[in-house]
Amino acid sequence: MTATQDRQEQGAVGGTRTINLIQAVTEAIAEEMERDNRVVLFGEDVGARGGVFMATAGLQERFGKHRVFDTPLSEASIVGAAVGMAVRGLRPIAEIQFADYMGPGFDQIISQAAKIRYRSAGQFTAPMVIRTPSGGGVKGGHHHSQSPESYYTHTPGLKVVMPSTPYDAKGLLKAALRGEDPVIYFEPKRLYRAAKGEVPDHDYVVKLGEAAIRREGDDLSLIGYGGVMPDLEKAADALAAEGVSVEVIDLRSLVPWDRDRVLTSVQKTGRAVLVSEAPRISNFMGEVAYVIQEQAFDSLTAPVGQVAGFDTPYPYVQDKVYLPGPNRIVAACVQALNY
Amino acid sequence: MIQPFTPEPIRYVAEDGTPVQPLPARFTPELLRELHGLMLQAREFDRKLITLLRQGRTTFYAQSSGMEATQVGLARSIRVGHDWVWPYYRDHTLGLAMGVPMFELISQCLGTNSDTCRGRQMPHHFAAQAQNFVSISSSIASQVPPAAGNAMAQKYLGVDEITVCTFGDGATSEGDWYAGLNMAGAAQAPALFVCENNQWAISTSIREQTASETIHIKAKAYGMPGYYVDGNDIVAVMEVMTAVAEGVRAGQGPALVECLTYRVGSHSNADADAEKHYRTREEVEEWLGRDPITRVEKLLEQLGHPVSAEERAEIIARTHREVDEQVLRAEATGQPDWRIIFEDVYADVPDHLRQQEAFLRAEQSGGPA
Ligand SMILES: Cc1ncc(C[n+]2csc(CCOP(=O)(O)OP(=O)(O)O)c2C)c(N)n1
Repeated sequence: MTATQDRQEQGAVGGTRTINLIQAVTEAIAEEMERDNRVVLFGEDVGARGGVFMATAGLQERFGKHRVFDTPLSEASIVGAAVGMAVRGLRPIAEIQFADYMGPGFDQIISQAAKIRYRSAGQFTAPMVIRTPSGGGVKGGHHHSQSPESYYTHTPGLKVVMPSTPYDAKGLLKAALRGEDPVIYFEPKRLYRAAKGEVPDHDYVVKLGEAAIRREGDDLSLIGYGGVMPDLEKAADALAAEGVSVEVIDLRSLVPWDRDRVLTSVQKTGRAVLVSEAPRISNFMGEVAYVIQEQAFDSLTAPVGQVAGFDTPYPYVQDKVYLPGPNRIVAACVQALNY
Repeated sequence: MIQPFTPEPIRYVAEDGTPVQPLPARFTPELLRELHGLMLQAREFDRKLITLLRQGRTTFYAQSSGMEATQVGLARSIRVGHDWVWPYYRDHTLGLAMGVPMFELISQCLGTNSDTCRGRQMPHHFAAQAQNFVSISSSIASQVPPAAGNAMAQKYLGVDEITVCTFGDGATSEGDWYAGLNMAGAAQAPALFVCENNQWAISTSIREQTASETIHIKAKAYGMPGYYVDGNDIVAVMEVMTAVAEGVRAGQGPALVECLTYRVGSHSNADADAEKHYRTREEVEEWLGRDPITRVEKLLEQLGHPVSAEERAEIIARTHREVDEQVLRAEATGQPDWRIIFEDVYADVPDHLRQQEAFLRAEQSGGPA
């Protein structure tokens, strides 16, 4: 579904504004805090400092220190406390300063947040959102550039989201906060200010689990999410100049993910190239590829192509070479087209 | 014997340079001048690196200005190249004072071919084998349990080395910190834990960090002594640290030393406007008044061996010259090429990485991808 379609479906009236992705995050949080006083926000440096990327700028002033606060430097405490608050009826938003630093909170995420509903048969649940900037392209070296989403898509009980536009960032975050499950919400940090787009003035949500078709095409389905999306668009432009019609799909959420939209597209085009910047082994896109071959095998005219990060830690120098980039995506598409 | 768990930080020299207890004999004017020179060099190194940052020749820098006495004092209290150090990212002054060549530090900051770590980590995340200065990890407190293990190995091997592990005040909130200290305590391993308490973790103050009145008292929970030191008094840092390190070496078990100091600059270049957001100018001014470098200058003056303005200017000029030289030398070595992505991931390179390397080689040479 395109952003325009979303708006139409919700019967939007009124204006729109152009904002960037980080503003979309801030607006989503502010509006949900306004709407629901169970929503609280905390993490390292989110208060007076407004977050190291300024995603929470002004929120402490606006909502007070009891609702927006800095925590001790401990991801285990941040995530674990969010679980406890959620069990007791709040709607916590826990910020982890960089996705790379979810490590110290990992056990709380996979053992507590993800499982409390299941092991208590729904007597206790943890509706909460863990927000965290992820991905590369900002000269951060490996500890500020990793894409750890597959650790979390591998854990039943968690929902996993990664927007690439301001519209989605806002709508998905609101939906995540209104849901009943723990959501890991990855923010592609290199798009924070680079991704600009329209958002409506009125309240809206983007349902988790629905992919967006960014452009329609007949020859090949190019599928990605998060920080790589602008590169998919550039690759599609380059291929269009050669007369190739590419359908570009943004998954937007990985758990759950939109099998129907992906399969319908691949059945139409007969070719799929999957793109993500995370290392290749156990990359979430391996699951997408598996489902395509399982459900759309007869439609395929070429093996499913995959462009991923290398199976190495993310480097500091040569970080641009590490990232997939439009050329590498085009090359994978050409390979599928010439198969 | 140095007393653990003192209510006030141990100090030898007051802010105005007056000794508040007799100076130990080894603090001759010569030694004090040498320490002063090291601290001033570190301060100027910071200044120059910030210039490099502004010139876009490096991308990240976290100063240690204000914390020189803690880091230089620590460096001079251990057996360099014999003991092992698990540092954190603000420890370039510790590295410098331990004799890590400036060329190595600068090469790492610039990510040049001369970087012994091959441009893999962000700036000033060094590793220096000759000094047993183990690779810095950005992930806060992740070095603490390995440091405990390093010390356990030293005990196992029966060597007379100790392991030093440093961290900021913020790090003491992480689970890894508790886990590491507890482990070292239980194992009675020769570990010296050093908290460089500069009172802020980015924008989070020590008061928001913990309800514990001080960091050093936490040592009690792990069965080790905790020492509280004025981290801007180099005499105090060296006196306490040397005594504690030698106690650890003698088999007395691990110890925690908290050096109370202050980061006068921003957290990093990503946080250039600290005073606007989270702390007051008055607070910074107050701590500037406790500056470790001026304190030694005032002490030397009182001892009748003042550092002259010319001497001071000489050290500054020499440091600037040296940084400039090393920058040019490092830059002349160029940047590591794409191969660094694949090297050092494993000892024996698995097939899938060979294939990915071949793919990138073809791509980089313009061949078929
Ligand atoms: C596990 C982890 N979480 C968060 C961060 C982001 N971060 C980098 S430095 C820092 C503050 C550290 O403060 P402190 O330990 O007091 O050391 P200081 O910088 O003050 O010297 C934070 C939160 C990180 N590097 N690692």
